[in-house]
Amino acid sequence: MTENSYRAQAGDFNPIIADHRIQGISRPSLSYWQDAWLRLKANARAMVSLYIVIALLFFTIAGPYIWTVDPAFQDLDQVSQPPNIDRKATLIKPYPIWDGSTGTVDVKDSETLYLAQAANTESVRLLWHVMPGAEGYRLYRNIFPFEQGQSMGLPLFTTFSPQNRLFEDLLDLTPRTFYYTLVALNATGQETSEVVNIAVEVQRVLTIEQAVSKGLVDSAEEVDVGDVVYLKLHPMGTDYLGRDMLARLMYGARISLFIGIFAPLIFVSFGVLYGSTAGFMGGKIDQVLMRFSDFVVALPFLLFMILFKIAFGIGPGESGVMPMLIAMVVLSWPSTARLVRGQILQIREEGYIAASRLLGAKSRYLIMRHMIPNTMGVILVTITFAVPSAIFTEAFLSFIGMGVAPPTPSWGSMCFEGIKTMLTHPHELIFPALLISITVLAFNLLGDGLRDALDAKMRSRE
Amino acid sequence: MRAYLLKRIVQGIITVWFIASATFVAMHNVPGDPLMDEKATTEEIRKNLMQKYGLDKSLFEQYIIYLKNMSQGDFGISFTQQNRQVNDIIREHFPVSAALGILAITFAAFGGILWGALTALYRNRLPDIVIMFLVILGVSVPSFVFAALGQLSIVSVNNLVGFSLIPVAGWGTIWHMLVPSMVLGMSTMAYLTRLMRSSMLEVVNTDYIRTAKSKGLPATQIFLQHQLRNAVLPVITVLGPAIAAITTGGFVVEMVFAIPGLGRYFVEAVQQLDYTVIMGTTVFYGAFLVFMVIIVDVIYGFIDPRVRVG
Amino acid sequence: MKPDAPSDALLQVEDLHVEFDTYGGIVQAVRGVSFDVHPGKTLAIVGESGCGKSVTVQSIMGLIPMPPGRITRGSASLKGINILNNTFINGVDIRGNEIGMIFQDPMTSLNPTMTIGKQIGETLTVHRGYTQKQAYARAIELLDMTRIPEASKRASQYPFEFSGGMLQRAMIAVALACEPSILIADEPTTALDVTIQAQILDLMKDLQSETNMSIILITHDLGVVARMADDVLVMYAGQVVESGSAAQIFYDSAHPYTLGLKTAMPSNTNEQVQKLTPIEGSPPDLFAPPLGCAYAARCPHVMQVCRSQPIKQSFTLADGHQSACWLHHAQCESTTPGLFKKQSGGQT
Repeated sequence: MTENSYRAQAGDFNPIIADHRIQGISRPSLSYWQDAWLRLKANARAMVSLYIVIALLFFTIAGPYIWTVDPAFQDLDQVSQPPNIDRKATLIKPYPIWDGSTGTVDVKDSETLYLAQAANTESVRLLWHVMPGAEGYRLYRNIFPFEQGQSMGLPLFTTFSPQNRLFEDLLDLTPRTFYYTLVALNATGQETSEVVNIAVEVQRVLTIEQAVSKGLVDSAEEVDVGDVVYLKLHPMGTDYLGRDMLARLMYGARISLFIGIFAPLIFVSFGVLYGSTAGFMGGKIDQVLMRFSDFVVALPFLLFMILFKIAFGIGPGESGVMPMLIAMVVLSWPSTARLVRGQILQIREEGYIAASRLLGAKSRYLIMRHMIPNTMGVILVTITFAVPSAIFTEAFLSFIGMGVAPPTPSWGSMCFEGIKTMLTHPHELIFPALLISITVLAFNLLGDGLRDALDAKMRSRE
Repeated sequence: MRAYLLKRIVQGIITVWFIASATFVAMHNVPGDPLMDEKATTEEIRKNLMQKYGLDKSLFEQYIIYLKNMSQGDFGISFTQQNRQVNDIIREHFPVSAALGILAITFAAFGGILWGALTALYRNRLPDIVIMFLVILGVSVPSFVFAALGQLSIVSVNNLVGFSLIPVAGWGTIWHMLVPSMVLGMSTMAYLTRLMRSSMLEVVNTDYIRTAKSKGLPATQIFLQHQLRNAVLPVITVLGPAIAAITTGGFVVEMVFAIPGLGRYFVEAVQQLDYTVIMGTTVFYGAFLVFMVIIVDVIYGFIDPRVRVG
Repeated sequence: MKPDAPSDALLQVEDLHVEFDTYGGIVQAVRGVSFDVHPGKTLAIVGESGCGKSVTVQSIMGLIPMPPGRITRGSASLKGINILNNTFINGVDIRGNEIGMIFQDPMTSLNPTMTIGKQIGETLTVHRGYTQKQAYARAIELLDMTRIPEASKRASQYPFEFSGGMLQRAMIAVALACEPSILIADEPTTALDVTIQAQILDLMKDLQSETNMSIILITHDLGVVARMADDVLVMYAGQVVESGSAAQIFYDSAHPYTLGLKTAMPSNTNEQVQKLTPIEGSPPDLFAPPLGCAYAARCPHVMQVCRSQPIKQSFTLADGHQSACWLHHAQCESTTPGLFKKQSGGQT
């Protein structure tokens, strides 16, 4: 066997005084909250969520002071407008009633159906030549291009006189492309296969009078026919009543976040009070209190949300936010109460409580120094996770028409209104739905991060 | 086991009584008169109606009559649809909601277990990251958005194939149920996936999995017989509350897809202040949920030997 | 350490290094461990918590979760075939077959939702090709062999219906189902009552004499070592500080750490009443192990060299008795004459 071949140097075998402190732990000692904050900061998802939550609060609280548009104002020129539209409007003279004689600038022979003059939002004036075998005509308007076998859209006009070959469309014109289809009718008034169609680009126009009354120009003297003015800006478009989406989203955020944040704060506080009372008292009182909370848990949540809401009653002009808040608190506290009671019972049995008691600690000290700090983390996490579920509940109830009363905007009620026009004006659904989703997502991820940061035991699990 | 079951049933009955009482109290605080909208406004007809519905008696008497009827499973007659028993309404509309709910919970449970197991298996790798991202979306997007997306996708599928392959709304065939039940089960599935994943990861680190490895068992056998079985248990315990969530979540889906279920009927009844229908439906749902939780617990007892004997 | 090891070694472990990636950095849990296991003999591995005893045997068994674990160097050969990082020999898993293992906490080491009989039989169906029925019948025999009363009834029960001691017997039955040549017992009695501990140790000894298997016994209890071991390995901070026969370790302790362990243990051999002397301080941080001897910081005999020079090789003191302490260097004139000589019992 090989002997250790190290050649000793002078002084190698001199004894030294043993010092046990040499290998003390070199990492700094941190308080619970400092440690939790460090761990939260290391969690990128949670930090991004935290910034999103802060941005949302800014959007909600400061937003209406920056974007000072009245959320109830109805801009009837811009109903259900998506964001980023062309807001140009050309000023024109008021249009007289059209009898087909005036304005027929160029009679086109090449096309059967043609425009009498440039189409605009005031009117679209159509003329057509005789169609073979036609005993009458029917005119349709569509927002989709003509396709054989598909619907031709809205029937605008029907005539059984072959001489009648003009139509002025004044109905709800918006600046976009409309597709007009003219169908020839036979003697019995049935549609024949003789069909012509035309695509019409509609330009936005306003009379000077209208521009003044809408406040787009200061006085009639400033402008002339043919000038271009710009309509009011709606960065996120308008809803089906022409109300500004951005302003409504901001005011809606106030309702949604108010319920989303205050309801959890109140019911968690109540739950903490209730649960810790039960946990401290123990015995009969504990049993009675917890049995009662079991009953409340058994109530079907949404059904009772609706029941309570109608039981509280909403008078005219009220938004119904407070009844919803109260109903949510009444129904939601038991889960927190159970959790806190469990924590208190568990902590009560811990060795450090006994040790502290042996050292002469009073109840007050035990509660302040041990109970509260040790349950605080759990409570904080509970609140964070309660926020998204409260926002969901509000949205859900408003969506089925049981939430806040119109015209008060909330994200849920905006979704409810938006889903009706989902196919034609998707932005009315997308924006509030997106805000709900982002908010809920941010609070969920923040909750995950907080739980990981505050409860080291849970770290490895998810 | 029998004693346990008996105890649970007695508890359940007391809970249902509490739900019924809470419903009664809530409904009798509703401002406005249920007979306000009646066309017959002469004093005499009004009196007759009051008498018919027992509204002229004292509140306590009403409560006793109400409890007596409820205990006999008699929920009374609808206020707005004369001559229609609330029982008949429930009998007609509940099976629709139940069919939808059963399909949704099946979808959620199997999907949740499958995806959860998959994410745990591929922990921190691409499938895990992708699925967990979708899960986070699943719990963050409101159900009505899923419903809208579901309808949109039906429309686009129908456009793609050129004919109406899947009905956009309504009720009748299995095709009507397909998309609504998926939409309905979506958030529950996301929740169960999360639960299953953490449960799997917890089980993977247990001593008995280490024992199974030390026995030289093949990886698939360890996965199926030791890991999966134990990981599924906590998922089963939450199925009771999950059924509750899905049942009430049915409101939105039934509304968007125009499905004649009890949820939609309940919303209509609330709008018309149809007292008896509201009370009957609430108590019925409450009782249904209480006993679903008991049934899930009993089934759990058969699966987990620790509960079965204890 | 023993390049020309006797050919009768059943299991040879050479220079094993294991690391773990953790939240706080890389932990070097095992840093060059070597030992031999001889047929029919018991090797005890002793050391305080966190010294790498369990990690050593778990890495041999392929039970280290990878990642975060990593075997960076070394070999382990069973009957001359390397099994490190590959527990299969000729396509057959040696785990449960050639080496059985039992663990510290029997309460959590068995699957809570599977009957005891099935858990014992599983090994037989996998390794021996038994049918379910045969395996179950054999499981009852094995339970009987581990002296569990009413074995046939017990086989159909679940772990939660067993007491801790009974469960550890059942675990032994699981581990021995395929009659392995080595039983690894990782702190098998730590979680049990003192009276049950003795029963389990006796059972292991009896089964060893019946089957002539080897046992690797991991423990921090010197009493258990004295009762069971033929050979002893003393580990500290992921390294072997002293190895030798049980007699050499107990009566010729040649490392200050071993001496420290002994003085920290109560004894009834001395006439006069002694105070127990704890070892001051705590083991080094394995995120950054010290350059020199890991025990230097706690050693009462520490010298300059202990901090400045790593001990690359142990000093051989007698046949099979080695110690990794500079005090045994030829040039060292011990300041405490007679420190390592003829200790019987404790040391003051």
